[in-house]
Amino acid sequence: MIIFDRLNCVFQDVFDDDELLIERNYTARDIEDWDSLMHVNLVLAVEKEFAIRLSSYEVTRLKNVGDFIDLIEARL
Amino acid sequence: MSDNIERLLAYVNETYPQFKQGISESITKSPERFEYIAELYLSWIIIARGNRAIEKSVDAFVQFTTEVNLSQAKYEFTGHYENQSFAEVYESHYSQKSQMDGYLWGVYLTNFLWAHHLEISLFFESRFLSQLPSNASIIEIAPGHGGWGAWALHQMPEATLRGYDISPSSIQIATSVARAAGVQNRTAYYESDALDLENQKAESCDAVICSFLIEHLEEPDRLFAIINKLLRPGCTAFVTGALTAAQIDHIYEFNHESEMLAMAESHGLRVLETLSTNPQRLLKRARFIPRSMAILLQKPLTVSS
Repeated sequence: MIIFDRLNCVFQDVFDDDELLIERNYTARDIEDWDSLMHVNLVLAVEKEFAIRLSSYEVTRLKNVGDFIDLIEARL
Repeated sequence: MSDNIERLLAYVNETYPQFKQGISESITKSPERFEYIAELYLSWIIIARGNRAIEKSVDAFVQFTTEVNLSQAKYEFTGHYENQSFAEVYESHYSQKSQMDGYLWGVYLTNFLWAHHLEISLFFESRFLSQLPSNASIIEIAPGHGGWGAWALHQMPEATLRGYDISPSSIQIATSVARAAGVQNRTAYYESDALDLENQKAESCDAVICSFLIEHLEEPDRLFAIINKLLRPGCTAFVTGALTAAQIDHIYEFNHESEMLAMAESHGLRVLETLSTNPQRLLKRARFIPRSMAILLQKPLTVSS
């Protein structure tokens, strides 16, 4: 499964929404309940799914779905 | 809303939309007092930090809040705070100017951008400041960013304040905030370990402010002994602390509100009022509720039985 699809599953799980289909340019403005705590929940789920660790500096700079994808690609 | 607040909200919405909900909760808590406190703090930050002050401070707030949330997530997993020793936190954190500057400006904004900290600010204003004599001599233990003390002096034009903090960054930033608030002639900040205040002259002040220091200490009960020594009889202290709330530099884990109150009482202080607050939203499946507690303490006129 490519990164995008695996990340979509992470978003669906974290936001408890099986219908959620992410796009690269999606931000917290596009997904209801994506607040600062859900942002950390997302990061923890991404770390687990892709077996990577992100620094707080990196976490702060994740602004949209595309940022997640780019960072995951760079770390794998 | 003022131009400064609108500028902050616009920057958050544009750059960090995931923080919008939390800030909205704070505004909703008390729109009028939010606007008053936010404008006061932002007007000082603009003078103190100059160009792009609001944007730089929001960046620091987002970084600080993210680190707090990540620390809390780690705490949920391990069941204990990351550090237990003051020495290791001092070495890795308090003595590092580049880290401390951002940290302190981030904390500064939590006084009104975190809804449960806005509640603490309202408690400070309505239950503590409003009761002080206008010419109060105040000691602030660990002033950090200096916002609490500057606010106190702003409200009381004849009051004076001495502040003691172990971090050089704190002394620099608190001084800059006092200057921005126009109260620098009534403040004096000293780089000093808070616990060295045990050697200060007894009964030398009318009020003590000590905000979110206690959870940073290995022996927090010594703080109450110091407060009791410094206060004149009948005078009050405003003390805040964190419970089951992880942060990189929190080392003493309070689990129950009663622990802090018992410590204060064991050193002869009377608990006048308390407020315990927590964020409305928690991490998924959280077993700990991170709380912030404010206590209004009094040194009794006579020793109680």
